[in-house]
Amino acid sequence: MSLLDVDAVDAYYGESHILRDLSLTVEEGEVCALLGRNGAGKTTTLRSISGAKPPEVRDGTVRFKGDDITGLPADDVAMQGISLVPEERRVFANLTVEENLRIAEVSRNTSNTWRRPRTATGQSMSTEQVYEDFPRLGERKTQKAGTLSGGEQQMLAIARALKQSTDLLLLDEPYEGLAPKIVEDVEAAIERISDQGVTILLVEQNAAAAIKIADRAYVVDQGAVVFDGSATELRDDDETRERYLGV
Amino acid sequence: MSFHIEAITVLLNGLQQGAIYILLAVGLSIILGTLKFVNFAHGALYLIGTYAGLLIALEVNLTSGQLQAWGFGQLGLGLGYIPALLIVPFVVFVVGLAMERWVVEPFKNRPDTDQILVTFGLAIIVQELFRAFFGSSSLPFSQPSWAQGPPQVPFLAAIPISSWRYYVIGITAVLVLIVYLLVEFTDFGLVVRAGTRDPEMVELLGIRLSRPYIVVFGIGAALAGVAGVVGGPLNPVNPTIGNEILVPAFLTVVIGGVGSIAGAVLGGVLFGVTQAVLVATYSAWAQVGLYAIAAIVLLVRPQGLLGEAEVAP
Repeated sequence: MSLLDVDAVDAYYGESHILRDLSLTVEEGEVCALLGRNGAGKTTTLRSISGAKPPEVRDGTVRFKGDDITGLPADDVAMQGISLVPEERRVFANLTVEENLRIAEVSRNTSNTWRRPRTATGQSMSTEQVYEDFPRLGERKTQKAGTLSGGEQQMLAIARALKQSTDLLLLDEPYEGLAPKIVEDVEAAIERISDQGVTILLVEQNAAAAIKIADRAYVVDQGAVVFDGSATELRDDDETRERYLGV
Repeated sequence: MSFHIEAITVLLNGLQQGAIYILLAVGLSIILGTLKFVNFAHGALYLIGTYAGLLIALEVNLTSGQLQAWGFGQLGLGLGYIPALLIVPFVVFVVGLAMERWVVEPFKNRPDTDQILVTFGLAIIVQELFRAFFGSSSLPFSQPSWAQGPPQVPFLAAIPISSWRYYVIGITAVLVLIVYLLVEFTDFGLVVRAGTRDPEMVELLGIRLSRPYIVVFGIGAALAGVAGVVGGPLNPVNPTIGNEILVPAFLTVVIGGVGSIAGAVLGGVLFGVTQAVLVATYSAWAQVGLYAIAAIVLLVRPQGLLGEAEVAP
């Protein structure tokens, strides 16, 4: 059984048919990349998994650890162990770094979990571990997150996601808007997280960077999967890369 | 009365009136900031607070209204002011929870205009129910005998302001401090502050916002209830007081900045003191001056004095 199984999903925003019979799976422990041009359907795929601004799924199912999570609200999806690092990071600019991390733990308070299904089993990262892995965050823990640089905010968004009980980490365009040097730092962080055993679904426009760290890749175009294979295969498949990724 | 005594009197009266606005504005502001809900029925909660406070603290003889016609003209528990101050917040807190569940929740994702219409309608219904049952005429809600004169301490004894007004300022200060500590230093407050900024991201962290938000509404309601109890003995008590205080309370919020407790405090002090000064100097122009000042503040700083210019996507 795959950890995440998106099975033949047809999704709509209003009358626009965005995802067409889209299927993909993510296996436990791997880094899976979801690639494609801007507007290809990557973000919609993520939204139909995470439950934030979800499209209307008229056909197909999203299963996580075997449970049907299609159409579940975002807060319930998170409680099953799916943690999202959203596009544009969305750290809470008015909270300190420390508070940005602490709020991820609030979801485990009884006042939040009471009478709600919760199947997340993944380890959550301790605050000490976060500061060890991301020393910059430790140095700036009392600073407002809004004052951090783009790269630091990305690290904070990743750390915040990992403070949740995480079985699957969704990364939405983690390299977007970052300087090449910082992209390397984020790459290293993602690889380290993967080595710690966290399963990752990496959504990227920057295909070259994503292929470097992914085990497997999907390429989507116009809401449908047009390539499905190992990262090595995609690296060698010039036609697919040129046609759908422009690299 | 010498000039400086008079000036201090005006200032303190302004602070006290500002305190009432602050109690209302803090609740309105955090409700607007978190639930994004425009509550025009906030004055109704003040009204409920005043009547509940009156009926717990004193015994009254109704001279009109349905209750009097039914032979229940003599009402009230007569327990005194302290029990009233302790019980009313809980009563109005519960009223607030019910209101959040049955009025706010169904209209949360509707346009502001719908929210305004439904809550304003509710405010009028509450007002007219009170009028029907308790009558239109003003009820006697005097300041407690132990707080009528100036406090018998050096200096303040010379200022013709009743102790009750100082209590109003003190109670407001304590309650606002409690709310501030709650928002700044608890997990509940953390969620409230993050939710003001980016509610969807909070939900993506697994947090079900409807739970803290109903509490936010309850707290806002309880503060309005306290405002009703402490403000009741300072003004005539009749069914229109709720809707009369709504406009200054809302202006306090927009002057101070939506979602900001410090803003509500600053707005309330400015509004109360300015009002008192204008009434004492050019009373005929007091209302005009007050709203003109509010308009100028909003022209120069549309987000309010301490509000943030930008709200999350």
